[in-house]
Amino acid sequence: VEFTKVAADPSIVNLGQGLPDISPPNYVKEELAKASAIDRLNQYTRGFGHPSLVKALSQVYERVCGRKIDPLTDILVTVGAYGSLFSTIQALIEEGDEVIIIEPFYDCYEPMVKMAGAKPVFIPLRYKNDGNSASSADWVLDPAELANKFNSKTKAIILNTPHNPIGKVFTREELQVIADLCIKHDTLCISDEVYEWLVYKGKQHIKIATLPGMWERTITIGSAGKTYSVTGWKLGWSIGPQNLIKHLQVVHQNTLYTCPTPLQEALAQAFWIDYKRMDDPDCYFYSLSRELESKRDRMAQLLQDAGLKPVVPDGGYFMIVDVSTLNVDLSDVDAKQPYDYRFVKWMITSKKLSAIPLSAFCGPETKRQFEKYIRFCFIKKDSTLDAAEVILKNWNKQTV
Amino acid sequence: KKLKTLCLSLQAKMSRPVHSRRLEGVDKNIWVEFVKLAATYSTVNLGQGFPDFPPPDFLKEALMTALSGENHMLHQYTRAFGHPPLVKILAQFFGKLLGQDLDPMTNVMVTVGAYQALFCCFQAFVDEGDEVIIIEPFFDCYEPMVTMAGGTPVFVPLRPKAPENGKMMSSADWKLDSAELASKFNERTKAIVLNSPNNPLGKVFSQEELELIADLCVKHDVLCISDEVYEWLVYDGKEHIRIASLPGMWDRTVIIGSAGKTFSVTGWKVGWTVGPNRLLQHIRTMHQNSVYHCATVAQEAVAQGFQREFMLYGKPDSYFVQLPKELQKKRDCLVQSLDAAGMKPIIPEGTYFLLADISNFKSDVPDNPNSDEPYDSRFAKWMVKNKGLAAIPLSAFYCTAHKNNYSHFIRFCFAKEEATLKAASDILQKWKQEKTSP
Repeated sequence: VEFTKVAADPSIVNLGQGLPDISPPNYVKEELAKASAIDRLNQYTRGFGHPSLVKALSQVYERVCGRKIDPLTDILVTVGAYGSLFSTIQALIEEGDEVIIIEPFYDCYEPMVKMAGAKPVFIPLRYKNDGNSASSADWVLDPAELANKFNSKTKAIILNTPHNPIGKVFTREELQVIADLCIKHDTLCISDEVYEWLVYKGKQHIKIATLPGMWERTITIGSAGKTYSVTGWKLGWSIGPQNLIKHLQVVHQNTLYTCPTPLQEALAQAFWIDYKRMDDPDCYFYSLSRELESKRDRMAQLLQDAGLKPVVPDGGYFMIVDVSTLNVDLSDVDAKQPYDYRFVKWMITSKKLSAIPLSAFCGPETKRQFEKYIRFCFIKKDSTLDAAEVILKNWNKQTV
Repeated sequence: KKLKTLCLSLQAKMSRPVHSRRLEGVDKNIWVEFVKLAATYSTVNLGQGFPDFPPPDFLKEALMTALSGENHMLHQYTRAFGHPPLVKILAQFFGKLLGQDLDPMTNVMVTVGAYQALFCCFQAFVDEGDEVIIIEPFFDCYEPMVTMAGGTPVFVPLRPKAPENGKMMSSADWKLDSAELASKFNERTKAIVLNSPNNPLGKVFSQEELELIADLCVKHDVLCISDEVYEWLVYDGKEHIRIASLPGMWDRTVIIGSAGKTFSVTGWKVGWTVGPNRLLQHIRTMHQNSVYHCATVAQEAVAQGFQREFMLYGKPDSYFVQLPKELQKKRDCLVQSLDAAGMKPIIPEGTYFLLADISNFKSDVPDNPNSDEPYDSRFAKWMVKNKGLAAIPLSAFYCTAHKNNYSHFIRFCFAKEEATLKAASDILQKWKQEKTSP
């Protein structure tokens, strides 16, 4: 919330908050216009999810997961993936529970777990390489360290793959390590997969729920905002076994009851269009990641040209970079804040470029480890990246 | 390795109890059941509260304009606490009505329907050990929301007094007993929920009644959660009085409103809270940790709708003048049909609901002493299955302990096209004839 205020200034090149400034595909916008024109679609729909939407979601995900998914009992439509995280945590987590959170983490996990009365237990991704070109794949969990975090109080682990902010796409082997521990300790897995389609060449998004023994204990969360570049539609979904989803539905019926109808109808229609072409490379699920891959490569190049060492992501639309190597004089900026907060504040004011400090994504113990990093968002139109290029190319020149 | 995988699969099922204790006692929901019944059986649905007539043209146009414009950023996140054009006009509009200078950034917050506003209020203000006074009959979500927040709901009923001279009963005939109300307040009372105009009864609380409540709130330092979603739907020249405008109340009241009810677009799920910053700040915290943002494009259109209404306020073309005028006619039409058929309606002063006493039809659905289910619920289910007419039992709006207090009323929604109301009338007439003919 802090940083969106600062970056609302149009003279600042905003690579901070994760929202596209590219247009959603035309057919998505058209479907919303069509849905809104139908009178009854402006009134309440089914609370747990508009029928045509849950049907479409079940079809798409049956295909992806290779298992039957009941649209009425195995799916809940929520207000964004954010709403799914909230419903899941409120439904399944309480005082006395511990929840494992992998650092860096999407910042809402910690307050949501705390609000449910539970204790967050952090484990950091650690950078294992020392080479020149850093990739998100270089950031890994230490299996022994991870195993140590599990105990009889562990209710759940939150997994985010592809990962925000690093862009890591967990491999099958890495997921198996997590799955083995979940099964051994009878733990839930909350799998935030909002960036599931944004995976770059050579990588594959694997759903932990498809590993043996995991469907029964996993809630998989998805997002229309990230799938279709419509973050402002705030529609997400939770998919899982009926005996878990039914509890999320209880939370939902006691919090907001139903999600907006025309948006759900439009989303359903968009899903049908893409479901029918899931064998076709033009399917938006694949074409968007192709479009983003070239933006990713361009962003990485710009940062490298400015003398920085970006961590090239295997997925998602964020890129992190260590900025301490620039040795910028931050003595004028609020000394009490972590390095990256101060750097970003300075960068917004003097370079008119915004990003998000990585320590926003860490627990208290790990802030030191990540405070040299900032996060850039690259799901931006060419003119935005052009403007960023100008700033980065002129970085070493004196500021006016 | 294969054997290991097999062993792990066998252990796969979650063996420990999985759900959190906060869900205890809040899992039942009348709407899930009754909406399904209506969808399956009803030919005329006067059950769930939504209009079957179209939203106003100006609002549909506002949405189309927003969608067809150059600005595709309307499909992206907007300000989390409310889209700036919307909070600005809400602050202006309600500031004028309340006689308060409202800051759009701190005195207004947009929510996913009034439902989510209620949720944020209970979560923000109610803790274990707190009591919350709920006036019966009540919109059913108040009770589970208070319970889920760890609070204790304390119920106080509106009590009907039969009107003289065989006049038709009005929602005004249902009143709070002032001594009874006062007795519910104590040092544990954190808040009272006020719903005026009241769903399901249609009561519009009078100045005196609101003063009674306000005095107690001030005396006991209690918050008031004021659900005013039907604020524009008041009939017979009655006035909707906002309790927040009474002395001592602005600082302790959160007002909740709804675009769904205001503009006949229940499916847009846009609501809002208005109140002092000292209260809204906690609602904002709750919002940012549960939903964070509300959908942008609907907020943009609702802002346009309010701009229009601000310009036309009080004028005959105002939707806030036209809608209640239309609905009053529909109310009168349904009242007449029910009366003619032998169901005794309670004439509502506001909202688009009314209650009807079905005592004359009891022979069709005999009492069942073995059933736990309240009579009116069994009646409503029988009616939708056998007559195709959907309505909601009044017991849905009472706590478990009081569900059988008024067991022969059902609630009808009359925000319906003429054709729908005519079809309802036909069903009722036919039913009456079946009862009277040999």
